[in-house]
Formats: sequence, structure tokens, C-alpha cells
Amino acid sequence: MMELLLMKTATGLYALATALAVKYLFNRDERISLWMLRLLVAGLVLQAASFGVRLKDFWAIPENRWFMPINSFYGALSFLALAVAGVFAVVEGRNRLGILGAFVIPWALVCAAGAVGRAATMGGTEIHGLSPALQSYWINIHPMVLMTSYAAFANAFGVGAALLIQEHQIKSRKPTELCYRLPSIEELDTLNYKIIAFGFPVLTVGIIMGGIWAYNAWGRFWGWDQKETWALITAFFYAGFLHMRYVKGMRGRKAVYISMLGFASVVFTFIGVNYLSELHGYLSGRG
Amino acid sequence: MKIFRSVRFNIFLGLLIALGSAVGTFLPQIPDAPEKVSAYQFAHPEIYRALAVFGLFDLYHTWWFMGMLGLMAFDIVLCKLWNKPPDHGIIALPPELTREAEIERHLAQKEAALRLKPFRADLTTEMPAGEARNKARAFFEGAGFHLSHELAGQAGASFIATKHRAQRWGSYTAHIALVVILLGALIKGLWGFTEMVPVLEGRSRAVMSKPGWQVFVDKFTIKYYDGTYEPKSYSSVLRVENGSTVLGEKTIGVNDPLDIGGVRFYQASWGAGGMFRSVTLKIGEHFLQLPQRTPGKIEGTPFTVAADMLLPSFRITNGQADSDGLDLKNPAVRFTFMLGAHKTSPLWLFENDPKMCMVEDADGNLSRAPVPPFQLADIDPVLFSGIQVAYDPGFKVVLTGSILWLLGMIGTFYLHRRRLWVVVEPSGQVSVGGWSSRGTEEFSKEFDALMHKLRARLDARDDFKISRNPLAEVAP
Repeated sequence: MMELLLMKTATGLYALATALAVKYLFNRDERISLWMLRLLVAGLVLQAASFGVRLKDFWAIPENRWFMPINSFYGALSFLALAVAGVFAVVEGRNRLGILGAFVIPWALVCAAGAVGRAATMGGTEIHGLSPALQSYWINIHPMVLMTSYAAFANAFGVGAALLIQEHQIKSRKPTELCYRLPSIEELDTLNYKIIAFGFPVLTVGIIMGGIWAYNAWGRFWGWDQKETWALITAFFYAGFLHMRYVKGMRGRKAVYISMLGFASVVFTFIGVNYLSELHGYLSGRG
Repeated sequence: MKIFRSVRFNIFLGLLIALGSAVGTFLPQIPDAPEKVSAYQFAHPEIYRALAVFGLFDLYHTWWFMGMLGLMAFDIVLCKLWNKPPDHGIIALPPELTREAEIERHLAQKEAALRLKPFRADLTTEMPAGEARNKARAFFEGAGFHLSHELAGQAGASFIATKHRAQRWGSYTAHIALVVILLGALIKGLWGFTEMVPVLEGRSRAVMSKPGWQVFVDKFTIKYYDGTYEPKSYSSVLRVENGSTVLGEKTIGVNDPLDIGGVRFYQASWGAGGMFRSVTLKIGEHFLQLPQRTPGKIEGTPFTVAADMLLPSFRITNGQADSDGLDLKNPAVRFTFMLGAHKTSPLWLFENDPKMCMVEDADGNLSRAPVPPFQLADIDPVLFSGIQVAYDPGFKVVLTGSILWLLGMIGTFYLHRRRLWVVVEPSGQVSVGGWSSRGTEEFSKEFDALMHKLRARLDARDDFKISRNPLAEVAP
């Protein structure tokens, strides 16, 4: 229960960080931004501790030893929350834009709250033995790599949303203070591109790793399973974004729309496909 | 041909492939779930007929879907052959008859060429041109740049300094990788095969795709997590023979197949098919072990009893006995008691619920029976091991493509190519044009710092100037 308690507290901290991030949009008090970061980092630390407790309990089952505890929806959601918050901490640490918190931290909060909600429905944090197919070192690599890319795309989505708001502000006759607070469209556009240029290779390499695992476990590299197919569709969207930007020089709003379609596909790949795929369905219990 | 090289056309094609793929995830597909396709056909015959015309129930193998993938591969090759990565010198010119004439012409074109670079620095040094060139060369080499396209003569000197040169090939490698991966898939489609071979423990079965090959499962072992029917491991002692020759043997488990010359035998699934070696009936204090369909006498009574059928996951469908699957989730066995030529109605007993008993009438309909004085104590089922036999001669090609993709991605997105065009004129005028694969911003500070260091190295005058041309070409 310690794991869940830590997770709940971390979720609470993410919620507070989100509230401060939204407040900071309209209030240029740097202390708010500072506290937002402090709460986010505190949430990250607590969540990491929760993950540590989870590892200890998970590894108590001999078959699970040294494998990552993400064979359940709770495990996947909580890891994703950790990754989104972690990637944002890196992006924020490097770019010091502050204002982006309001657009990205909510995703960490949604994932963390989703995990807490799932634990409430399932009556626990879903620690159970790995099915034989998942007892492979690939479970430590393939889902982790993919979720890192999802986290990057969630960050890019936040940046894209900020860009759309900024463009709306600039075009409107009465721009509010927000217009002066948000980074320039060019800056947001570059950041959106940079995050996707990091996430896209990670996504595709993650898909390929899944193929190699599938070949070792089931005898085929690619089987058009729903999860595989939707991951490919996601990759198509982001490849389209990168090509339009690189080759056609597309910038701004239109480019953001394409990347947002990509993110919608990410969300569907992560959650929606659970209802379609048996091989990859967290909800079907097969991990 | 022009349309196939168009980025817009290929993005449109990519979107069509994505859309087609998405449709396939919402409809049952014949290779994955033929039974679901049949159920769909039964439930919606009209819609089924309309969709089946386009092959939507085996979408990923339709000519139109494969055609789109093939066209995409063709377009990638075409695009990449057409647009060789430009890597000319200061300006692309045909070679002159003499070296000196070539240098002169390059220098004459200098202004026009450098104007096209996003970064530019101009400085003047008192040093002789030869010394300035050598110092500039040494400076850029020391800063980790690779020097190329070197020209030096009476008319002046020029060279190109580049860092992370491999980035130039990143996009090529990645696109070629996609074609290689598709090629691997094509090879599998043409010469590979996949076949599911369920083999009962202790029995054997022929592999249809490899005539003469016989798969033996000498032993099948399954272990469950305590208190559940979730398997924690399952494995088969496997032997493959061709006539009297043993081709290979191994205890295979999930993620650990047997490989015979590229033909791989995977532990894919398992199940109870309805056969059993024996069941144990507890009658009072006595235990009676019964092989399948072999009557046994109940001690101290004139009755005999026989067990004929096992349902691994018992459920009632339309009032009759049925199984929910092949897992041993709710195993039930059917018994018939006999007295001479007389038989009782068949009774179903359950391993998980000793107090439950169901009686089956002549039409197979079930009804609840009172708690019987005997229980089903144990079942020793004959399990079948689901062996997936697969031969994929394209896998190594796919793997090569995957490695190329990884290298291509690293090249394209994680390497940062910087290119500097350096021109030294006899007057001591040194001009540097700069370009970066990551656009202007990222390189800006680095360019400034480099130029300040170069200025110090060449002991240049104060009229040192750095300028930007944001409208300059994006490509080098």
C-alpha cells in the first residue's frame, strides 16, 4: 500500500503543480513558476520512490525478477506519468520557458490520476506474475522506449497547443498579457519540431524492437496486430510532419495540426487499442 | 514520373496507407481470427458482402494494400536516386583545364556563393595569404572539422570544413532502410511460411509446409501461478524427425524456440483438447482411477462407472454443455454409471466445485442434480502443445534494414552537420560562409565563438564582421 500512498501523494503534487502552472499563465510572479517546478520535482521524486516500492513487490515473485513492472494498465500509466514529467523536466531545464508547464504538466497529472483511478477500480496496483511471453529482457526495453517517445509527444502536444494560443493572440485585435508571456511562435515551432525530432526516432526504433521480440516469441516480425498497426499509423503522421517541415518548409499552425493528429494517434495507440488487441491489451490481462 | 517524386503525393500516399491500416484494425481479419470473421458474416451478411468485395477482411494481403506499400518503396528509391545529397564545393562548376583557372573562377564566384549561406564572417589579416590559409586550416582541424575541396594557388585559396559529415547520409540510409525492410517482408511472403501445429503430449504430427518432417512432443509441462489458472511457464520436449533422421531436439519454451536451418519451432500456445489419461473419482473413502472410456468397478457395489469426456472450461450454451476455451479454467468430466445393461443418464462433475453436479438428458440438455455421494478428485489431462512452425528467410534482411534505420535516424536527427566555406584571398581578406543542418539558431552561438577564435588566431584587424542571412537556403 506504500506504493499507492506515494503515488497518490505524487499525483496530488502534480495537481498542485498544474494549478500553479495555470496561475503562472496569468500572473507574472516568478515565485509561482519556481514553486511549480519544485512541486513537480517533488512529485517526480515521490513517484520514483513509489516505482521503487513497486519494483520490490513485483520482484518478490520469482518469475518477475529483473523485469519491469509494466504488464498492467496501472504499471503502464504510472510509468508514462513518470516519463512525461521527466521529459518535461528535461525540456524545461534546457529551455527555461516556465510558461509551458500549464500545457504539459496536465498530461503527467492525467496519467498519474488515471493510474490512481485504475488502482481504485482494480483494488490494488495490479502486481501479478508475468505471462510467459513477457518474461523476456525485451520487456525492459521495448515498452520503455515506446513510452519515452509517447512522453516526448505529450510534451510536443503541449508546446503545439501553446503555439496555437499564441498565434490566436497575435491575430486577435486585443491580445492579452498571455501574448507577451508565451514564447514567440518561431521559438515554439522550433521546440515542437525538436521534441518530435527526438521522439520520432525513439518511436520507430521501439517499434522495430517490438518486431524483433515478436520474431523471437511468435515467429513473425510483423503481424498487423492492432497495436503494431496503430504505432505505425502514429509514425506515419509524425513522418508526414517531419517531411512537410524539412522538404516543404511548413511551419506554424498547419505543422502543429499534423503533429497533433500524431498525438491523437498516440493516445489511441496507448488506450483505445486495448479494446481491440488481445496480444497487446493491458485490459485483457495479457499485458 | 514527376508525381512519384512529389513529397505531397507521397505524404498523401502515406496517409492512404495509414487510413487503410486503421480500417483493418476495426474489422476482424482472416489470418488472426477466422472465427470472428465468420461470426461477423453471420451477424451482418449484407455489410460483410459489400466489404469483402474490397478484401477488407484480409486487408493487409489485398493487391491494393500491397500495391500501395510497393508504390511507396518505389517512390522512396526514385526520390533518393533523383536527389543525390548536394555536397559540391563553394559553387558547383565543371572542372577547368588548369588548376589556376579553376581557382580563379571559384574566387570570382565567391560573392555570389557566400551570399547564399545563412552565416557569414569577413576578416582581414596582415599575414601572407599562404600563412593565413595554413593557420586557418590548422585552426579548423584542431576544432574537429574535416577539410575538403581544397584549392590553393596564386589566385588565392579555399577549402570546406565540415563536422558530423555522416549526417548527410542519415536521411538516405533511413529511406533505403525502409525499402530493405519491405524487401525482407516480400522475401518472407514469397519463400517463407507460418504454420500452427498442435501436438498432443506423447504424440506427433506432420508439418504440412515441410513434407516428411514430423514434430514429436515427448513431454509438455505447464506451471501456474499459485491459486490461479494463469500460466507462469510452459514448455515442450520437442523432437523433429525426417524419416528416421532426427533433425533436432530441444526443450522449447516461450521466447526460446528450436531452430533447424532457419525453420523455427515456437512454443506458441497450449490447451486441453478433451482427452485425458485418467480421472480419479472419490467415492466415500475410496478412490477410483479411470482411464478415458474404460469402465471401472465400484468396490462393494454391483455398479461400474466410465468417464468419456472432458471440457476444460465448462459453460452452458443454449442449455447444453460447452467449453469456453482450451484453458483448464473450469474443468468438468462426464460420467456414466452402469448396472449390467442399464445406464444412468450422464452426469457432469466439476473439479473446482465438488458439490456441483449436472445431469444430461437424451437431447443433451442439462439440469441441476442433487449433491452426489462421489466427487471428481483429480484429472490427468492430455494437453496439446501449440507449436508455431515458421520459416522467414527475409528476417536477416529485415534486421539489416532495422540496423540501417537506426543508423539513419541517428544520422538525421542526432548528428549536427556544420559546414564552413573558407576563402583566403592574396590581399589577406578571409571570408567564411556557414551552414548548419539544424537551422540557424542552434549554430548561431557556435559560429560566433568559432569566428572570434579564428580572428584571434589570424591576428585579424578590427574591421571583423559577422553577418546573418536568414533568407539563405536551408539545404547546403
